[in-house]
Amino acid sequence: MRRELAQVPVPDADAAEQRARAVVVSAFAAQEPVPARRRPGRLAAALVAAVLAAIVAGAALSPPGRAVVERIREAVGVEDAEPALFRLPAPGPLLIHAEDAAWIVRPDGSRRRLGAYREASWSPFGRYLVAARANELLALEPGGSTRWSLARRAPGHARWAGTQTDTTIAYVDRTGLRVVAGDGTGDRLLSPAEDGPLAWRPGARHELAYVKASEVRVQDTESGRVLWRGNRGLNFPVLALEWSTDGRRLLVVSAYALRVFDERGRVVAQDDPSDGTLEVDAAFRPGTHEVVAIRRHGSQSTVFHLRSGKPVFSGTGVFTELEWSPDGRWLLIGWETADQWVFVRPAAPRRIRAVAGISAQFDSRGFPRVEGWCCPG
Amino acid sequence: MRGAQRGSASDLEALFDAHWPRAHRAAYLVVHDSALAEDIAQEAFLAAIRNLDRFDRGRAFGPWLHRIVVNRAIDAARARSLRREAELTEGAAAEDAREPADSTVLAALAGLPPEQRAVVVMRHLLGYTPGEIARALDLPRGTVNSRLRRGLDAMRSEL
Repeated sequence: MRRELAQVPVPDADAAEQRARAVVVSAFAAQEPVPARRRPGRLAAALVAAVLAAIVAGAALSPPGRAVVERIREAVGVEDAEPALFRLPAPGPLLIHAEDAAWIVRPDGSRRRLGAYREASWSPFGRYLVAARANELLALEPGGSTRWSLARRAPGHARWAGTQTDTTIAYVDRTGLRVVAGDGTGDRLLSPAEDGPLAWRPGARHELAYVKASEVRVQDTESGRVLWRGNRGLNFPVLALEWSTDGRRLLVVSAYALRVFDERGRVVAQDDPSDGTLEVDAAFRPGTHEVVAIRRHGSQSTVFHLRSGKPVFSGTGVFTELEWSPDGRWLLIGWETADQWVFVRPAAPRRIRAVAGISAQFDSRGFPRVEGWCCPG
Repeated sequence: MRGAQRGSASDLEALFDAHWPRAHRAAYLVVHDSALAEDIAQEAFLAAIRNLDRFDRGRAFGPWLHRIVVNRAIDAARARSLRREAELTEGAAAEDAREPADSTVLAALAGLPPEQRAVVVMRHLLGYTPGEIARALDLPRGTVNSRLRRGLDAMRSEL
């Protein structure tokens, strides 16, 4: 029996091993402990200062040079980071998930813990939230009170969309992909055996994007008709699925493939990193088709413009996510290794603001996850 | 293992080379889906390296990794069978996402529930004793023995 089990052919075993090796080695490199900032001796400090000054003087005159300087400067977290989140740099509240709880952060920096939820996301105009517990899907007021709830097994990936008068929530539970009206009525199965993430196409039509194996599908949830299917590249878990504000582009990101589809399912942009480089997250700048993405290679993370390849921000360690402010002016980058949120305004005059000690501010042992910055449009 | 705990990338790669093939194969034999098995084994390695600093050097890495792999594979196989059941009850076109069993023993294994597959794989591929399997899966030893017996009986009749 042992010999037979050991000889059962595993399809694609060699390629799987190579892919997994690249992922595991990259993750290992990324989690190496970041050395604490040391207080250099006077001579060392003088040498470092001299070298940096020379680099700054020589390199800061050109854009690539500035990027190099910033990489050095920001090697282990942004210097001069604020010790607490005193305010957000742009209008609109943030929805945060930390330590099995959902939080709302107001632009003035005030934080409110909504309660223990496995995940949460905004309704389209930010009036409500949809949240999930182990066996319950709930619609909440931003103050935390429950409007309605549905008992469902392991609900997740809930996304709420629609117009001022007609909203729908899509989510996944153990039976598959389901939809329910915004008032909690009419819950029904749309497609069995699917998993998240999900993304509603902006607008009045009920069109939902989701992933099935190596495909991305867009389906009309009213008629059930699949509008188009696209090949999303290697069959790895999807990390981000997002429509552009005008609903004419769909972004699909997994560890080794980034695809941008047009409204008919044709690939109009793509990125297929190699050599152990991983895609981590990507997002459309609100109101545009401009994509900004995070890539990680070894212990280095970089945020870059997909079209031009120009770096926006880079640093040592792990960047977990990025989120645009609703006005499209500021980019929030989660820098887990430094336990910082970095707010970057890419347009001139470029600005960087960082906030340190993010985990402690949400009573969390892990690095908090940004669920959304409300509300586009 | 110690080298990996100290941050040595080459030692981590050696650890990966030593343990990946059996971990991947074990996951595949439980879930019967090569892409899912790859995800499970990869996630297990990632979970393991995230917790390297907490790992007791006096213990072996293999059983620790296999425990993660097999438990995740059981969960994945159960979720899959629940969803297939839902497909049938909802009247939608049933789609068997499992790959065709092109080996006799694989076909026989495929006929078992995930819990029985897991103990057969742990016993006869990974070589653990029933007591070790019971500890890894957090089950009473009698349950492991009965799952093994039923699983092997069913496979024998299939073969």
